[in-house]
Amino acid sequence: MRGTHPAGGGNPDRPALRILVVEDEALIALELECLLDDLGHVTVGVAGSSREAIALGRETAPDVALVDIHLTDGPTGIEVARALSTDPRTTVVFMTANAKRIPEDFAGALGVIAKPYSERVVASTLDYVAGGRTGCDRRSCPDGFSLAPDGPQA
Amino acid sequence: MDRYTEMTADPGPRPAIPLATFSLAFDASPTSMLVTDARAEDHPIAWVNEAFLELTGYARHEVIGRNCRFLRGPDTDPAEVERMRRAVRAAEPISCELLNYRKDGTPFWNGMTINPVRDAQGRLLCFFAAQADMTEKHRLELAMRGTNDELERQVGERTADLEHALAQKTALLHEVDHRVKNNLQVISSLMLLKARRTPAGDAQDALQGMADRIGALSTAHRMLYSAGDVSHFDLSDFASDFLADVNAAVDSDRTRIEAEVESVSVAAAMAAPLALLIHELTANAIRHAFPDARPGRITVVAQRRESDLDIIISDDGVGLTDAAPNPAGFGRNLVEMLVRQLRGRVTWLDNAPGTRVEVRVPLQERA
Repeated sequence: MRGTHPAGGGNPDRPALRILVVEDEALIALELECLLDDLGHVTVGVAGSSREAIALGRETAPDVALVDIHLTDGPTGIEVARALSTDPRTTVVFMTANAKRIPEDFAGALGVIAKPYSERVVASTLDYVAGGRTGCDRRSCPDGFSLAPDGPQA
Repeated sequence: MDRYTEMTADPGPRPAIPLATFSLAFDASPTSMLVTDARAEDHPIAWVNEAFLELTGYARHEVIGRNCRFLRGPDTDPAEVERMRRAVRAAEPISCELLNYRKDGTPFWNGMTINPVRDAQGRLLCFFAAQADMTEKHRLELAMRGTNDELERQVGERTADLEHALAQKTALLHEVDHRVKNNLQVISSLMLLKARRTPAGDAQDALQGMADRIGALSTAHRMLYSAGDVSHFDLSDFASDFLADVNAAVDSDRTRIEAEVESVSVAAAMAAPLALLIHELTANAIRHAFPDARPGRITVVAQRRESDLDIIISDDGVGLTDAAPNPAGFGRNLVEMLVRQLRGRVTWLDNAPGTRVEVRVPLQERA
């Protein structure tokens, strides 16, 4: 679906987001980077472990962190989400095949993209987050993306 | 007033039976009996029958003139004794069960009824008591309680085992589910990465086509296990996510894809073939029905027909005969294979204008 993606080359109505990818599968991380680039966003870093992720988060203060739950050091994505979401500049979105592990409070995350995801869901979720950041209507939550039960906190 | 008093005090119209006959009858009764003198100090035993002597192991001369309390022993329940004593003091009838002791010291459960006996003027004469050995009944009750406790313990143990096994199985299912989903994501990423690095042309189209097929499988798999039911998935949930993905990838000014998919619960085993089938037919229509930037519309309909599922995918494109010859024809082959696997049938129709593909597959699981 590459090249024909309506958001390909970036959505002109939305600002580019600075995104931290927290994912231990190198192939998934690399493809995600390409997709984010296609969508006109900027990947500020890729981390495979919780330590790396938290350090990179502190260093780069990204707009969005896409966080897998299983990292090289175990199911530590939850801690990563908790740490990164303390920075008000960062919106955390889980990206996982293991949504059942997410705690009830979502560890400060906005929501979850279920794996295996489609490029469209990633694109529309980021549009949604960008919309929220610039004060647009947040009610039009894209499918394939589930919000945390207490709703957006940003 | 009990029967004994009634008979001795006022035989009434009944045939007169000599008192001696009663005495003989009671003496010979297999039920243990005794009479205490209520007018004497400390209610001594005035009469016992043979059965009483047999039950307690005493000789007659050892019991006559004594209060019954010699039958009690260390494990006799004082509360039950007190209940009996109070009834006797109030001259009321009572049934009670006491642990009593034979002459040789062996205990037995003595179930007794005690009745006051009065004369015609209502004056208390004596107490009449009948006893029965309830030891066996107590033993059975105790054994039963023991058996019940043991059964409950065993049931509890087994339930705990089963709960543990179920928890393990559930954890394993989650783990496997997680791995399958993650692997699908890896496979999809791998295909897309290779497609990105391949120059535009047949090879890139083929890679992109495979990535799209994996995407359709992934969408179906995402639906599985996400709801409570692990054995079924809803076709309309799949169709709405899948077609949203397809619509996002086509030029929406030129091609429109519409869906009318009923909420049909489908066995999980059918999820992957159905997902691929719907993907192939939709992708075929997008690829072949609208050459030369021809605008058009694709409709996906799925509905339940009794025990079958009907899937109809139609377009208003160029139709089968006018489409460019497609020597590889992989899409159509794949559709026919999948329909065979699902034990269904497929009909390809020239819709004039366009193509209409009708698929009917049985929903019920094969016996």
